[in-house]
Amino acid sequence: MNDDGLDPLIHVPTRLKIVATLAALPDGDTLSFTRLQDMLELTPGNLIIQLRKLEEADYISSEKTRNGSVQKTTVALTKQGREALGAYTQALRNLLGGL
Amino acid sequence: MNHPPDTAAAGNGGTFDPRQAAALLNQTTQQARRKFQPSPPWLLATRAVLVLAALGAIWLSVRGQHPYRGPTAADIPVLIGFIVLNFTATVAVRRRATAGVTGRSRFSQGEIMVLVAAFVATVVAMTALGVAGVSFAWSPTTVLVIPGLAWAAISAARANWVEFGIGLAIAALGVAGAFAGPAGSWAVAAVGLCAVLLGNAAAIVWQQRA
Repeated sequence: MNDDGLDPLIHVPTRLKIVATLAALPDGDTLSFTRLQDMLELTPGNLIIQLRKLEEADYISSEKTRNGSVQKTTVALTKQGREALGAYTQALRNLLGGL
Repeated sequence: MNHPPDTAAAGNGGTFDPRQAAALLNQTTQQARRKFQPSPPWLLATRAVLVLAALGAIWLSVRGQHPYRGPTAADIPVLIGFIVLNFTATVAVRRRATAGVTGRSRFSQGEIMVLVAAFVATVVAMTALGVAGVSFAWSPTTVLVIPGLAWAAISAARANWVEFGIGLAIAALGVAGAFAGPAGSWAVAAVGLCAVLLGNAAAIVWQQRA
């Protein structure tokens, strides 16, 4: 954690947007990589890098499927990821409430 | 959980102020909820106005009929046009909202079958009531009862209590219309459905801002 109690994995604009977007879906729902990229207006390369970091921490899960020659990747926020976002949100409230 | 510090803490270098983070979190959450919403408030409000106009126009057309003969030849295209427009817009908006999404955000095969069965059952029930000579058999509100209950049941299974209430309200409209007479049921449908749709829109706006 940072000195201010904010999870440094989430406390990055791009990753914060990724986690917040996935959290807007019901628990268990997945989102395609293409739709996420379109919503966040990121380049594929940048999105892949950020997703990898979140997946290494088990905040998101990803699944690759193949339909003929087309590969499709879907991502979802894990239970740990939702809890981490909840903790991050609370830490923000505590921090800003004290300012 | 401890994580190694990110060398691009702000995404493009520099520090990421907590106030900026809070604003970004709030903005992103609101935008995502809006984009994933299969029945956005603007669609519901538009539908409310159109249903009031279409069914209200038919009520104005039939209220002076003694005896009641039902919608005139001029009314039928209005009704069909509204049904087709409503269905097309609903499917298009829902498809765009759920693009790339898999899971509970989409209707399951079972839920689709329940909805289709509800409409088939409605036609069967209304036909049976008509054959039996029941006065409200072909009232516009009669068609709302079984689909309203089906929607309530599906919503309850999903623990979506706002939509559960909407389903019950629609079914209740169906029952209320039976007491309004054949001409009056058009007014009940027009005003009642308009109110339900506007209430649904307001509930979604409130949920999205919560």
